[in-house]
Amino acid sequence: MLEKILAEKFRNTLKLVFSDINNQQDRRDEAEFVKDEARIREKLLARIHAFPSDTVLSEDFLVAAVDGSGTESLVTLDDIRVHLLSTSTIVLNTDTQRESLFSMVDRATVESEIGEQPHIDVHWHSSVRNDAREKMAESLAEIYPLKDMVSLILPFFCDYTGGKISSITDISDTEFAPFGSRLQVMRSLISRTQTLTNAAVHEELRKVSEYAAARRLLESDLCPKYLLLDGAMSIFMHFVRHYPSMPSGFMLRDLCSLARRKEVILCAVSKNHTIPFAHRIASVAKEELGEGAKWFCHLPSKEDPGGGLHIIEDRAYIPPILAVPYLYSFSRDNRPSRIDFDRVWWSENIFVDGDPQATRENELALFRELEFMSRDARWYGYPVALALAHENCKLSFEDLRLAKEIARDVRLELGFDDRKTESLRTDYNL
Amino acid sequence: MDLDREKLGELYGKVGVGNQTSLGIMGNNRDISVGEIFMIYSKRDDHERVFFFRVLDLENYLRQVDDISRVASTLMVEGDAYLSGIERNMLLSVGGRMLGFAEKDKKGEWTFKAPRRMPDHLASVYRPMPGLSDESVREMLECQTDGEIVVGDLQVGEDTLDVPVRIPCKYLPMHVGIFGSTGSGKSNLMMVLIKSMIDTNLDAARNPNRKSTRVSAFCIDPHDEFAKGVDNIGIQNIVEDMSDKMRSEVIGEFYYLTTHRSATVREIGRYAREIRILWSEIQPRDLYSIMEFSPQMSSFIDAQYNGGSNEDWIATIIDMDESSDDSQGTLRAVKRRLRFLERSPIFIREGSSILEDIYCAMETGRILVVNTSLMGDQEQFLLTTVVTRTLSDMRRALKSSGNLGDFERQGEMRLPRSFFNRVKERARAFYSKGGGRDSAEVRDPRSLPVIQVTVEEAPTILNPELMRGQSVFKDISRQGRKFNIGLLVVSQQVSVLDNVILSQMNTEINLRLGNEREIKACIDNASVNISGFESEFRVMARGEAILTASYRELPLPVRIPFFNDIYEKDKHRYKDAKPKKTEEHII
Repeated sequence: MLEKILAEKFRNTLKLVFSDINNQQDRRDEAEFVKDEARIREKLLARIHAFPSDTVLSEDFLVAAVDGSGTESLVTLDDIRVHLLSTSTIVLNTDTQRESLFSMVDRATVESEIGEQPHIDVHWHSSVRNDAREKMAESLAEIYPLKDMVSLILPFFCDYTGGKISSITDISDTEFAPFGSRLQVMRSLISRTQTLTNAAVHEELRKVSEYAAARRLLESDLCPKYLLLDGAMSIFMHFVRHYPSMPSGFMLRDLCSLARRKEVILCAVSKNHTIPFAHRIASVAKEELGEGAKWFCHLPSKEDPGGGLHIIEDRAYIPPILAVPYLYSFSRDNRPSRIDFDRVWWSENIFVDGDPQATRENELALFRELEFMSRDARWYGYPVALALAHENCKLSFEDLRLAKEIARDVRLELGFDDRKTESLRTDYNL
Repeated sequence: MDLDREKLGELYGKVGVGNQTSLGIMGNNRDISVGEIFMIYSKRDDHERVFFFRVLDLENYLRQVDDISRVASTLMVEGDAYLSGIERNMLLSVGGRMLGFAEKDKKGEWTFKAPRRMPDHLASVYRPMPGLSDESVREMLECQTDGEIVVGDLQVGEDTLDVPVRIPCKYLPMHVGIFGSTGSGKSNLMMVLIKSMIDTNLDAARNPNRKSTRVSAFCIDPHDEFAKGVDNIGIQNIVEDMSDKMRSEVIGEFYYLTTHRSATVREIGRYAREIRILWSEIQPRDLYSIMEFSPQMSSFIDAQYNGGSNEDWIATIIDMDESSDDSQGTLRAVKRRLRFLERSPIFIREGSSILEDIYCAMETGRILVVNTSLMGDQEQFLLTTVVTRTLSDMRRALKSSGNLGDFERQGEMRLPRSFFNRVKERARAFYSKGGGRDSAEVRDPRSLPVIQVTVEEAPTILNPELMRGQSVFKDISRQGRKFNIGLLVVSQQVSVLDNVILSQMNTEINLRLGNEREIKACIDNASVNISGFESEFRVMARGEAILTASYRELPLPVRIPFFNDIYEKDKHRYKDAKPKKTEEHII
């Protein structure tokens, strides 16, 4: 293969691909971006007035973060996969008054509230069509702490309809009425059955594990000011039924609703954002605010004053349903990241109708705190709580190797057949 | 065994990687220094052991940080950066050498073994703490630290434990080396050793029934500081503290030898003698040991010595008329070599010699401090050589004899006649097992006091060139142990010493050394493997030493105490204990 990669032909093929991207996508995006540039420059971009490093907050607060990791192939038994899931919840105290910035809330306190940390869980999944959905539903129901289906689905419908649906009986008068009974069974909430690949199943299990950890935290007495999730606040919708195609979508809205009730600011941070021309926005920020400035840029949607940006007009899930995304940069050395907020919370707490100045003030105060929690030298520019959660939950190659070895040991201990449990490709050294 | 682990010290870390020679430990972020000794508790296969580990390398380790430099540079560049909760992730990665392990034998006694095993997985590492660990370390290392001559206290990093490190008297005849650059603390060490030898003799004098070994030492003091001390307290203070009776038993009439008694301060002068050695007490090989002679010159000298002049050979040669001899060139050259004797105030043609008194002092377990500060190098070396050779020949004569009659014949053959005639009666008294008749059995030299002769500035006479010839020291280094005579070789350099001497040396006290070459030579020469200790030698402070001995498995880091401090601590010992008033018990 190497001779092919090193050949001129490969280079030429790549040239064609990049030229094609440039001609089609970039050129179009460029044209769209030109329409947005002035608005971005003048209205959406803002410089963060960072706290001085020796700042002492009048009220220190807690910042929590949840992250998860896992593998879909801890054990492979023919068409059955055993999924390994890990989550970690970190709670930090800004602790400016004791000059011990972002000190960890002691483990015993956190564990007494939300259980053992990091948390590890194992679920199995079969690829047989009907079993797949059944088993997955069973696992999701087991993982997520909220067991009452009505309570689980209502927050979405409530937020989606702007409060028109506030009880299960309200559904009968809406477009969702035909699906009323289905909505009360976890299995039926999985409407994307045709795409239930192992990876998709694992992704859903993992996401729900993280949401479950977040819910446990919100239910606890820890009461953080912020709860950070890893990823975007995207909800994948069923195109016909207009509600989430997977249970995790409902769970996310449940989290948002609970966070609002508990007065916790829920944010989802994604390094791997899909915002087009983010680098151009970063360039504009650099020109406008100067090298090294810490900044954020609101990415408005159609319903916001001034409408959505042209650059994201045809992008699915940007902005995500019921969320407000921002692009931000707290570090000159890194590419910008994205942060999403619950739109309902944002509308109530950040957005001031008819007063863009007040909205901007609220945004500035919000990002000032977010920036303050992103100055750890190990991950400068990234929220330290999320970074620590990531460090705590990640499964290294070596961890996985050992976990697989133990799984095999356990099977032998139980006296089950000594089928190899590694991926079949290992038989052929592939 | 059920060892009380809390007495090992503070729990410091866990064993990570390594093998039976070197280990990597992950420990708390404490103020650890190179040279510290840790103890590792291990229980494998029900064998409870305590491994000893010496820190040689330290590295800061931040858990969850792969690139510590990047973090440091971020902290530097981004002025507002912080490190959240980093304290618990700040660890020290400690590398070092396994020194060996202690375990109890079947009798329940601690033994110490070379590192041929490995501690258990993730074994707990303890950091010895002064005041907490002293007793347990003392017990575990007793076989590695016992003896009579105290060198100092076991050093664990920058602290010391109350674990005295000693050299057994029985190993002194297997020669001791003291190596250290200027300012490394050699003089203080010598004073500490002298004090310890006096203490040993004091104990022997106080407990005559215990059959303790007495130690004699002929200590060259090139800077005249042992008696009055580097800092106003010296051996003289010990001498003065003693009662007349104790002083007479332990110190004798004198302990201080000097070239000019009149120049000595009055207090010390009371215990001083002038060094005078008769030409007749010098043998040709004494001179061959300290300077080079051509074969023609040696032949010429030997011809004079063996051909009638005998012990008057020096006077004969010096008095020879240069024009009357055929071999005028050789005579002139020999005379030139001997000329320093003519000028020397201590080597005299006629008069009263101190050699007899030195001999008697050495055979009765006494310490002599020899002020050589006013001597020329050659005078000092010749004095050391004559004394060493005389003592060795006397003991050799004894060793070759079955009874006193034999001894006398052997002595007459080996030693200058006039000297031997002067000392033989006292020698017979020293060496007889009982009675003074010729048929009386003689004692084994090993039952006599151990004699330790200092060779200062050793490279000048213990170099390969002189040692190739008929050096007195070559014989002593090889055979001294048979006669209970050992050399105490003091040198700033190891690399220039002759291999014969180095290979026969069984105890080394390695102080701070001057350069990499000497460090390497010192490590190569050590009686136990101390490879890897280079970095430690580089950071050693004044008075710190690594003691290695062929009869011990453990290289012992030692802090040599300041003489004044141990004198202050022990001075009450030199007074005679007041007789206790016995209580009357009335029944």
